[in-house]
Amino acid sequence: MEINFEHRHAAHCENGVVRNLLNFYGVKLSEPMILGLGSGIFFSHMPFYRLHGMALTSFRPFPGSIFNRVTKTLGIEVQWHKFRDPDKAMDKLDEVLFSQTPVGLRVGVYNLTYFPKEYRFHFNAHNLCVIGKEGDEYIISDPIGMNKNRLAAADLKKVRYAWGTSPPKGSMYYIKSMEHYRPLTAEMIDKATLKTCSDMLHIPLPMFGAKGIAYMAGRMKKWEKLFGKRGAALNLAQVIRMLEEIGTGGAGFRFMYAAFLQEAGEFLNRPGWNQLSMELSQVGDLWRDFSYNAARFFKQREGALLSYDYLANKLKVISVRETEIFSRLENSIKRGK
Amino acid sequence: MKVNEVPQDNDFFQPDSSILLRDRNFALDENGKFREVPSVGWKPKNDAIKFAWKNRMEEAEEMRRQVTAGKSSPLAYHMVRMLMTPPILAGYTGISRRKIKKFCKPKHFATIKTGELSRLADALSISVEELTSID
Repeated sequence: MEINFEHRHAAHCENGVVRNLLNFYGVKLSEPMILGLGSGIFFSHMPFYRLHGMALTSFRPFPGSIFNRVTKTLGIEVQWHKFRDPDKAMDKLDEVLFSQTPVGLRVGVYNLTYFPKEYRFHFNAHNLCVIGKEGDEYIISDPIGMNKNRLAAADLKKVRYAWGTSPPKGSMYYIKSMEHYRPLTAEMIDKATLKTCSDMLHIPLPMFGAKGIAYMAGRMKKWEKLFGKRGAALNLAQVIRMLEEIGTGGAGFRFMYAAFLQEAGEFLNRPGWNQLSMELSQVGDLWRDFSYNAARFFKQREGALLSYDYLANKLKVISVRETEIFSRLENSIKRGK
Repeated sequence: MKVNEVPQDNDFFQPDSSILLRDRNFALDENGKFREVPSVGWKPKNDAIKFAWKNRMEEAEEMRRQVTAGKSSPLAYHMVRMLMTPPILAGYTGISRRKIKKFCKPKHFATIKTGELSRLADALSISVEELTSID
């Protein structure tokens, strides 16, 4: 059994699953538009929340929130399930699947067999879509692959019950009803963008939003003292991986969000947003410049000559620029142009 | 980033696998419009991943020396090698963290029951024979 589901490649797994699911129900939206509507750009650096024993740096909101925000905005009813018992989780998946409904799953990548070995660490916020079953194999539409794929039931069960930071516990989600569906309007985009700006600018804690980048810069200066030379470089490697690892469209969603601003600017007929889009794209280039310089720390000979202050200063510039861009974006919505 | 600047530095993806995993970058074309361009990777990111793994393998080597010296058990070596920590392994196997930490010592490694041993090997995706040796 295979559902007639159009598989399309995407930059980010969750956006991709949401877009492909909506596409299945006849809602045609681009990936940047999904990111924008889901307020999917963010920054946080949390020394108290650990991944691999190091501070978690994230460029996106909590997994699942893009799907929830987009469907809520468009008035689409969705259903989430979580299970304690793996066998029940698989039974429920079959039940929903055989009613011709594609199902989204949150999985861990540690045991995901088709990933390259180097990518398989304890990261539990990968999303994929199950679109069919043949014998003991599930047909998977993983948006970061160019083609559809197959996965044995036992392997799927293993990745649905991955362990580590925020385990998925068999999370599954699907669209229940399109009865109250509303097509995209200008108000929806404005509201979602205001939410993004508010997340990036007004959370009254230092580690979240655009000012969080400066906070990370401050922490970065202390890394060598806290963790030693090797520990500091490992922390840096983790930041780069979160920034560039498969699924951000480059530079932690900055380019993708710039593409959203361009598309939304045309939709709303606001030429000012194209200017903001170009500036955000430049900030993306600054992030790439940061990564490029950071990579020199991983080579022993060059690493000895560089200091973390130099990198931290680059981050501070980025923090200032992002704060400015998002304030201008917020003002432009409040003024209505 | 311009369309012609999208990096294509492949280090990890197998070209012959059927799924064809790819990054997808958003880059500007000559008219200032964003285009989506698939990419096979970027060198700084690949370097970061390689650095993390190289470091992990050095830790594993260090642990192997400790096993040979009789200070740790083969389980400890395989856990380092497979990026496992006691809490995560406890999640996969259902064996308590305290017990897993205990099994990392050679004295207690010999007392693991067969059932527990196969569960541990299963969670580490290796065979029982591999788990009991350090080759």
